[in-house]
Amino acid sequence: MTPAIEIRNLAKRFNVKQGFFGKPREVRAVDGVNLRLEEGATLGIVGESGCGKSTLAKLILGLLAPTEGDVLVAGQSLGALDRRARARLIQPVFQDPFSSLNPRRRVVDVVAMPLVAQGGLSGAEIRAQSLAMLERVGISAEMAGRYPAQLSGGQRQRVAIARALVLRPRILLCDEPTSALDVSVQAQILNLLAELRRDMGITTLFISHNLAVVEHVADAVAVMYLGRFVEYAPAKELFAAPRHPYTRALLASVLTPEPGLGVPDVGLGDAMPDPSNIPPGCRFHPRCPVAIARCSTEAPPLVGGAECHLLTP
Amino acid sequence: MSLLEVRDLHVRFGQTAAVRGADIVVERGETHCIVGESGCGKSVTSLAVMGLLAKGAERRAARMAFDGIDLLPMNERALSRLRGDRIAMIFQEPMTSLNPAYTVGSQMAEVRTRHKGGTRRAALDRAEELLGRVGITAPGLRLGQFPHQLSGGLRQRVMIAMALMNDPELLIADEPTTALDVTIQAQILRLLAQLQAELGLGLMLITHDLGVVARVATRVSVMYAGQVVETATTAELFANPRHPYTRGLLDCLPVPGKLPPGSQLGTIPGMVPKLTEGFRGCGFRSRCAYAQPACEADIPLYGTTHLSRCVLSA
Amino acid sequence: MKKAGLYVGLAILVLVALAAILAPWIAPHDPYAQDLNNRLAVPFWMEGTNPANLLGTDQLGRDYLSRLLYGARVSLIIGVLTVIVSGVIGITLGVLGGFFGGRVDDVVLFLITTRLAIPVVLVALAVVGLFGSSAVLVVTVLGLLLWDRFAVVARSTTMQVRGLDYVSAAWAAGCSTPRILLSEILPNILSHLAVVATLEMALAILLEASLSFLGLGVPPPLPSWGLMIAEGRDFMFFSAWVIWIPGIALFVLVLGINLLGDGLRDLVGGRA
Repeated sequence: MTPAIEIRNLAKRFNVKQGFFGKPREVRAVDGVNLRLEEGATLGIVGESGCGKSTLAKLILGLLAPTEGDVLVAGQSLGALDRRARARLIQPVFQDPFSSLNPRRRVVDVVAMPLVAQGGLSGAEIRAQSLAMLERVGISAEMAGRYPAQLSGGQRQRVAIARALVLRPRILLCDEPTSALDVSVQAQILNLLAELRRDMGITTLFISHNLAVVEHVADAVAVMYLGRFVEYAPAKELFAAPRHPYTRALLASVLTPEPGLGVPDVGLGDAMPDPSNIPPGCRFHPRCPVAIARCSTEAPPLVGGAECHLLTP
Repeated sequence: MSLLEVRDLHVRFGQTAAVRGADIVVERGETHCIVGESGCGKSVTSLAVMGLLAKGAERRAARMAFDGIDLLPMNERALSRLRGDRIAMIFQEPMTSLNPAYTVGSQMAEVRTRHKGGTRRAALDRAEELLGRVGITAPGLRLGQFPHQLSGGLRQRVMIAMALMNDPELLIADEPTTALDVTIQAQILRLLAQLQAELGLGLMLITHDLGVVARVATRVSVMYAGQVVETATTAELFANPRHPYTRGLLDCLPVPGKLPPGSQLGTIPGMVPKLTEGFRGCGFRSRCAYAQPACEADIPLYGTTHLSRCVLSA
Repeated sequence: MKKAGLYVGLAILVLVALAAILAPWIAPHDPYAQDLNNRLAVPFWMEGTNPANLLGTDQLGRDYLSRLLYGARVSLIIGVLTVIVSGVIGITLGVLGGFFGGRVDDVVLFLITTRLAIPVVLVALAVVGLFGSSAVLVVTVLGLLLWDRFAVVARSTTMQVRGLDYVSAAWAAGCSTPRILLSEILPNILSHLAVVATLEMALAILLEASLSFLGLGVPPPLPSWGLMIAEGRDFMFFSAWVIWIPGIALFVLVLGINLLGDGLRDLVGGRA
């Protein structure tokens, strides 16, 4: 069976000028990402700022052209498709509900935009479909006539979800969809997404830095560090028995609301990852609490979904 | 005598009440977390304590005292002598509170010499010592760097070191780790907890993150719609939440292990009410399953050690 | 109180615009009708005034109030047309440069710097001197010269808006580039451009008056305020009002437009 989405050796490198006379430096934002996801599954992508998850999202959406590699949705290469065909396959939901909706458009027009761009539908049909999708995400027809500024953060995120789903895409890419929301609103949005995923059978990529949320929504999890998936495993396995030291550190740093446990010692140094200066060998070794000599020279092998020297027998 | 005692604080901006009944007591050597969602008045409360409210804000309180000193009649000059000296603050975004035009060292030294006098050399030595203490490698080197040359985590460490320059007794931290990555957040919170224990500081920590609260707080105050609705020790609050809002908030969290993945999360229906002039009573009643006519009147904090502003707790 | 400037400016502009539009109905006389027996009649506040000519008459006996009202038409039409011409040029260049960046932006920046190196008044004088004076020529020359601020502001605001998520969402939704430019970017930078438009309009009106004063703007006998000042020059010692009246009218109009622009800028909350 063809996977819903397949990513083959995807890479994006930027040349960043340093000062006026400086030599341009190469930033490797995404550095060889591979992934296969079955129809209807949800993949959580976790990582810290600067790990390349936003660039990865832009590559998958076609907002950036990859330096290398390819993204295939339902067997079709996104690079070979035109903008409108791509829009029918994959749609985004962004983090900030205050900058993701055009402030000059009414809510119903925001949701209608992807249908208008496709063409071929009458104005009345477009309006009916938009209102139906808004209804589905819990936005009433009365609210549909308002401007985004008159809505709360949670309502705006519902509108963004309706816009993403109105074309009934195969893939939904959520880039930190609840990070800007309050806890009580986050719960509503997560419930809504779960319900829509179930009903519409959409394959979802869920990018987040919140591991508790990812554990709640994902079937599989990819942990990203300096442009690569350092561990990629089914969610249950990964959370029960993390293999990569970075995954372990990430999981250790999750502050669950359990009093009395104190703040854990994550065990990472204060060396910050820098995508313009990726260390040789294992890219995690300068911060790794269990690094051995080999880690700083050889690239680690892929063992059971994780890239780490310590996993080789 | 408590280190900080705030009784019945009210703040209004024109027609809107931002805080309408906050009671916060911070003891020496304890971490008191104020938790709530955006717009609940938690940041305004901390600014009101420091006398840093924007122009046009109207503040009144039954009592507001730091170490027995009444803060209410103090003018701006007297307050600014306390701020940065016996009371220090850390904000969410360190880049806005660090001056980009000066080096880390000169900003830290300035904080010391302004309040305590002494030579610049001595102040710089202390700055270097404190930077080492907050876990910054090569502190001598960092003194000569500008804020933009540091990463977010390092900047927040610098802010903490700067806050400690004058041996404060009370540290007020407003969302100090919200802008940081989870691993950095854990490191910074661990550091704050260590310093707090070693130096016997009173720490007032403002956050929206119940995970942070559970791990660092000794006491918690939950704020909603401008009021402290519940105050208790951390263990007590998480084990036995009394106010319906606190309970609703805890149900919204996806807690690994407690809730099977993919299951429905608890939600709080409805929205925060507009706190216009004349709004009285419980701000949560429009969203509460237990609302009754009595909720429309002003409700006091019931209880002795575990306080709850709810008629059900009467 | 903060918005007082905005309202005062708006009131002045509306008043002048009304005067210009209604000139044929409210003007007491034909602005071109000469009456050589009634030259340089004094306005109403001086002794010996003629109630038929509220603001007196000029050196050819034409009614000054009527000429002032018709002059408002010249000023406003030239101001508005110039803003339209320069706005279309500047906004197109700025939005394209800001949106596409790279080579396109390099070209736009080169055009802007080139334009900034050209002295406006000098070129305007030269062109009008070469081709003779006409209202159309004044609009064309000023329009081709005053687009730089439109381009700079359109470029920088487009760059800000381009990075916002709703533009990314429009890309991902399959919208064509022209659609993104016209319906996602342009409506969101218009408020900033409105501020520029007021500044440019004030400038255009002043430049037209200056050119007309030098005899290189609109040709006589069109009643332009600048031309009225120029024609009154010879009589300013004994009949100072012939200069004062159009001068004050010009001053008040430009002040009003600038007040409006400042007020708009405060509303928009940005720098333009």
